[in-house]
Amino acid sequence: MTATTAETPTPVASAARRAPLIRLLRAELRWVFRRPRTLVVLGLLALIPISVGISAAIADSSAGAAEGPPLFSMMAGNGLALSVGTLAITIMLLLPLVTAMSSADAIAGESAHGTLRGLLVAPVGRIRLLGVKAFGVACVALCAVLVIAVTGFLTGLVMSGPDGLFTISGTTLSIGAALGKLAVAVGWVAVQLWAVGAVALAISAYTEHPMLVVVGVLAGDILFAVLGGLSALSWLHPFLITESWSALPDVLRDPMPTEALTEGTLRAACYIIIGLSLAGARMLTKDG
Amino acid sequence: MTISTHTAPAVGGPTGSSIADAPLAARTRGLRKVYRNTVAVDHVDLDVPEGAVLGMLGPNGSGKTTTIRMLLGLVSPTAGTASLLGQEMPGGAARALPRVGALVEGPGFHPFLSGRENLRRSAAAEPLLTAGQISGAVEDALQRVSLAEAADRKYRGYSLGMKQRLGLASALLVPRELVVLDEPTNGLDPAGTREVRKVIAELHGAGSTVLVSSHLLAEVEATCTHVAVLHQGTVVAQGELADLLEAGNPTLLVSTPDAEQSVESLRDNRIPAQLAPGGVRVDLSAVSQPEVLRTLVRAGIDVYEARRERTGLEELFARLTENGLNDTEAADEPEIADDVWLDRLDAGQAAKQEAR
Repeated sequence: MTATTAETPTPVASAARRAPLIRLLRAELRWVFRRPRTLVVLGLLALIPISVGISAAIADSSAGAAEGPPLFSMMAGNGLALSVGTLAITIMLLLPLVTAMSSADAIAGESAHGTLRGLLVAPVGRIRLLGVKAFGVACVALCAVLVIAVTGFLTGLVMSGPDGLFTISGTTLSIGAALGKLAVAVGWVAVQLWAVGAVALAISAYTEHPMLVVVGVLAGDILFAVLGGLSALSWLHPFLITESWSALPDVLRDPMPTEALTEGTLRAACYIIIGLSLAGARMLTKDG
Repeated sequence: MTISTHTAPAVGGPTGSSIADAPLAARTRGLRKVYRNTVAVDHVDLDVPEGAVLGMLGPNGSGKTTTIRMLLGLVSPTAGTASLLGQEMPGGAARALPRVGALVEGPGFHPFLSGRENLRRSAAAEPLLTAGQISGAVEDALQRVSLAEAADRKYRGYSLGMKQRLGLASALLVPRELVVLDEPTNGLDPAGTREVRKVIAELHGAGSTVLVSSHLLAEVEATCTHVAVLHQGTVVAQGELADLLEAGNPTLLVSTPDAEQSVESLRDNRIPAQLAPGGVRVDLSAVSQPEVLRTLVRAGIDVYEARRERTGLEELFARLTENGLNDTEAADEPEIADDVWLDRLDAGQAAKQEAR
């Protein structure tokens, strides 16, 4: 790309210069994680597994272990089940919204603040900028998942010690094996959120109103859930990303059935490719 | 009578030749931008000579910002070309923009970060700064716009003037070959305005080219070496400031007690003149100053003082914009003067047409 001719009078001046990518990524992360909103949201997410664990324990002791959905009763005092269970609840709406919020700030928010053109005239290449933004969104999504997983696991450990790590299938896991399963759950949920983030970035590139991005993801999430519930539309279901999300508790089985989880990952990959392509196409033509 | 930029008479003049000769830091040809059904900018042929301070003058909505945005590659033109430091935009952005500092459409920063943090974020994206230079560059830029003391306050709490200064600081992070400032004095108090002028003068002194847009005439007259006047999306006049100031009717103000007699005798000699307070105003576009005085003295008129009157840029600007380019005062003004004036204004355009 930057073919430098040997005897140019001003080689420095005519060559394309770019700020180092690592520096851009670090600046992006600093910006993302200094934003009060991001920190508040991550803090609130940390409270969810704690409150779910406590309420599950209360329900467990008052109603007896036999009643209620099996996952919910398992979540009382089982760090692995509490983490994965909370992720299974929050992936339905809360985590996609957090991802959408981050995507909204990434492009539409920068555009609204007038900071996007500052980056464009620096210059940061448009596709490069999208890459940096996608990285920031991916980090926020991963952090959100990690915060839930870690606080959930710790809450479980505090409530019943390291012995209660049993699976839906009835086997008991060592801490190492449980952490392995938790890592699978975290990675899988993160990929699902990156798919949401990619689509949200595409919306974000098309608008100057950050709110539209969040509303769009919220509406899409609800619409997909409704469509997924209509058996007459079963031909459409393989295309809905929300269809994957009920597969998460599979992680808690032993041995772990991988079919639904793999399908979900592939579906997410398709969403990521389509979302980033749309966002890239828009970034290239967008007015700065 | 209407000024048209593209049907320019082929009259050479100081305006045209000086622009054609100098290497250009920025150049547009036939630039056109249409937003949906609105033509924002059309037929803009702008020349920014290297080392010049070019003031882009025009009322709000005349296409200044749109032109700047196309020059910086933020917006793609509908038609025509824009080049910046020899690079075609927007394709050459990666090569040209590192050497260009810009403040466009007001300062854009994040309210939850301090001024210094905002500036560090901008600096991180600057290709010409190495990691070790960032801190120093940020501090220098803050000092330069007198914002060092407020640097740790949140941007949210900044006054309009401080925000504007921070925007200026981000344009000055790196020594630039070209600095583009869109309405840099917006929201600044007189002291702030003076500082912006000082910064522009420093940039000029250091050999940088400056493109500054403004709707304030005094601003441009005080800081610029060159002017381009935009009106309704088109460049209606451009050239060196001095030439454009002269391009209005050069007039001579003669104080004399025999004003009416003077006018009569001058008109007898086919010299356009009219009554003015305390004397007569003589149009100099067709005659020389000594000739006027000779005529008056020969007619036996007492002349106390003869003073060359410079037409302010303000009058030029007012004529170009407020009158909608139609000379409604044609009755008061000698026609010949208008023609010469227009020829000079269009000389730059003529030179460009030859180049095509």
